[in-house]
Amino acid sequence: MKDLIKEIPSYIKEILVIYNVSLEEIELIAIGDLNFRGEFGKCYALATKSNLIIITGNNDNKNWVEESSILYRLDEIEKLDSDQLVSGGILVGLINGEDKILCRYTNTSMNDFGIFCRLFSKIKEGKILTEEDFKNEEMTIYCPKCGTRYEDPIRKICPNCFDKRAIFLRVLSYLPRYKVKIIFILIFMVISSLLNIIMPYLSGNIFYDEVLKKGENLNFYGKIGYFVIVLFLIKVISTIVSIIYGRINSTLAAKVVFDLKTEIFNALQRLSLSFYNSKQTGSLMNNVNGDAMHLQYFFHDGVPYFIVNALTMVGIFSVMVSINWLLAILTILPVPFIVFVLKKIFPRQWVLYSRMWRRNSSLNSLISDSLTGSRVVKAFGKEEVEVKRFGNANKNVYNVNVDVGLMNQTVYPFLFFFMGTSSLIVWGYGGWLVVKGAISFGTLITFTGYVGMLMGPLHFMTQITDWWSSCMNSASRIFEILDTVPEVEEKMDSISMQDIKGEILLKNVSFSYEPNKPILSDINLEIKSGEMIGLVGHSGAGKSTLTNLITRLYDIKEGSITIDGVDLKDMNLNDLHSQIALVLQETYLFMGSIAENISYAKPTATIDEIIEAAKIANAHDFIMKLPDGYDTIIGSRGQSLSGGEKQRVAIARAVLLNPKILILDEATASLDTETERLIQEALERLIKGRTTISIAHRLSTLRNADRLVVVEHGKIIEQGTHEELIRLKGIYFNLVKKQNEALKLQGV
Amino acid sequence: MEEIKYLTNENTTFYKSNGGFIGLKSGETDYKRVSLIKAFPFSFSNSFISVRDKEKNEIGIIKNIDDFSSDTKLLFVEELERRYYLPVIDKINSIKEEFGYGYWDVLTNHGNKKFTIRRDNNSFINIKDKLILIIDVDGNRYEISDYTTLDEKSFKLIELML
Repeated sequence: MKDLIKEIPSYIKEILVIYNVSLEEIELIAIGDLNFRGEFGKCYALATKSNLIIITGNNDNKNWVEESSILYRLDEIEKLDSDQLVSGGILVGLINGEDKILCRYTNTSMNDFGIFCRLFSKIKEGKILTEEDFKNEEMTIYCPKCGTRYEDPIRKICPNCFDKRAIFLRVLSYLPRYKVKIIFILIFMVISSLLNIIMPYLSGNIFYDEVLKKGENLNFYGKIGYFVIVLFLIKVISTIVSIIYGRINSTLAAKVVFDLKTEIFNALQRLSLSFYNSKQTGSLMNNVNGDAMHLQYFFHDGVPYFIVNALTMVGIFSVMVSINWLLAILTILPVPFIVFVLKKIFPRQWVLYSRMWRRNSSLNSLISDSLTGSRVVKAFGKEEVEVKRFGNANKNVYNVNVDVGLMNQTVYPFLFFFMGTSSLIVWGYGGWLVVKGAISFGTLITFTGYVGMLMGPLHFMTQITDWWSSCMNSASRIFEILDTVPEVEEKMDSISMQDIKGEILLKNVSFSYEPNKPILSDINLEIKSGEMIGLVGHSGAGKSTLTNLITRLYDIKEGSITIDGVDLKDMNLNDLHSQIALVLQETYLFMGSIAENISYAKPTATIDEIIEAAKIANAHDFIMKLPDGYDTIIGSRGQSLSGGEKQRVAIARAVLLNPKILILDEATASLDTETERLIQEALERLIKGRTTISIAHRLSTLRNADRLVVVEHGKIIEQGTHEELIRLKGIYFNLVKKQNEALKLQGV
Repeated sequence: MEEIKYLTNENTTFYKSNGGFIGLKSGETDYKRVSLIKAFPFSFSNSFISVRDKEKNEIGIIKNIDDFSSDTKLLFVEELERRYYLPVIDKINSIKEEFGYGYWDVLTNHGNKKFTIRRDNNSFINIKDKLILIIDVDGNRYEISDYTTLDEKSFKLIELML
């Protein structure tokens, strides 16, 4: 941001002169990309210690056309906000008690204006802006190396510093791990291509000119049997070589994918939750699977094939030139045409194939959508509609299949025609040379053999750029994950706390997931050891966020959180997580047996402990009813448990961990009354003697809480016991009233 | 069930506030700043518009902005244009594809613009018929209202994505 001040163009400086503002006075700047009318232009928001200046206009063709400029005194502006609209935003100032639109910008500038507003409020409070203020705000969207804004704020790749060569070199640096195998592969590939190059020469020049031709000084005339044996031996050697090569190559390919997947998955586990929220799970799975496969091509097909194909091409051409240079040059005449055609078709072919893939996958998801919802389809009698929907998607797949077929059947004959012309040239000109006696018949046969052999490597070379770019793309994505520094990181000299008491203190805590959307602001809360706190408030008030911060799934930027007087950031992460247990509304059970799931957080638990935990969690009885008992396999491929059963397994998991701090996030929501009673009972046993934070919409579940804390719009509004809050007649009172009314309506 | 409260020319007066927002007088209440939110941004862009107060609570629904006087309608159009800012692409100068990103250089009804989109299924969406919505890496939206009316060169550039 400071750099932007230095780069203020002269036409803006001139306007500042009119307002009697010097560049040195400017504390803050944000530049938007729209004018008032919504045209792509510029809007400058500049703040000094005493003024706010807004300038809008267009700078098309480098000429600045001013639209408006205005100066406000700081004391005129009560507040400055950056309001997010559907696409873009507006800077809104509360001026003399009325909201006023000051300027407009697209989403691109949204973050900058968010920062502007936050830092502006600090200026307004009379605080002096420090380097730290700017550093904290800006780190996320500007490249730390060169200060350029990232093209894609989610994928932090700087267009200036993104060095394709560096990525390529880094990928190459993986090679030494497999060097022995790769060297062997190369040796065998070279041997096999040398043998391939020799073959046409043997079956052409040698066979026709030496074995079949009578004459003087020909040592091999008539030795057909001998010659056939030599050819046979060469074939045998070449087959053995290709078998060995193929076997080494397959183990290498599998090893590369295995290593890469392990490395990516390890890196993913190390990363903080915020990383997962910014990336879709689907794209992460893609990274682990697809990108690792792409890089496999690099080691498996790419590097060795490139070297061998290049060698083969050079080798063949050199042999051809040494036999007859003119014929050699004539032979490769159609090559530029072939390369041209290949280059032309590939993008088109790629697009058609990816379209085919897309349409097939949408057809598949339609089938699964319709079949999964078959109960609804049948209940509403909408079978015909579904058949029609399927028909449309099926037609789309049919169309693209026809397109692909038509293209392939047109282009390939055309390509083969060009390839054929090479042979025609050889037959035509070569034949004439044979008749003239300039070359032998054997040479002609050798040439025709070589022409055929050139086409394979040529085909490969035309695709090499596509192949390279897709490899580099995958590599950059993989490195991005490997290089991401976890936001929540343990300090080198973290404090080990084996036995925490569970005293939690939050001091002036503010937090936001995204820069300009504060979720919690200025939270102060003291929770005594063993106390049970009920967090109450509307959905989206920030209750779950508060628990995310206490478990240090995210790091706070402002304020402090301490447990037993030690700052969370100084604490050993393992110690913290092994003493906090979470029971959520949506319980996730992993693939595996029930016993394994219960002992997930404490793998060393004995069988007695597991059963005891299940008993406390009221889970033992239902587990015993299952035919496989504690060995029942659950998860995606196993037995499915009901919501209440899953919940009890999760509670057993928490019981076994014996945590000092327990967090219940809507643990009993969406369950029937009987199950809720069972779970409530289990929870009450669990809560005893532990610091507990419980979030619940159904206020009756919090009746045992020592204290209730009401959160509204990210702030703590009320706190006290149920009776105290009822007497207060505030938000809690209203919530209770509303719920009682709702219960009455339901006749409960 | 709650009934829909329609705001009409008769029961409400919309006005432009000094700050550039829309104000609304309805009965005794004067809302100094209201926002207009489309219920069907693509299907019925001028109908079923929810009017909300500063706290985002719904005051009522405008069934069709054409039912209001031309001055008021102008006010609505201005506000909706700002909230649903959607430059219409008239011409595509170039699209460069590299490393999973598309770098676009276009001419819109609001002027020239260069932007970057991710090459995935969520960046280039065929909303309906010939309408295409393009979303760049920052979440800005652009529209191609009818791709068949684009000039030949522009159409060629996007043809393969359709």
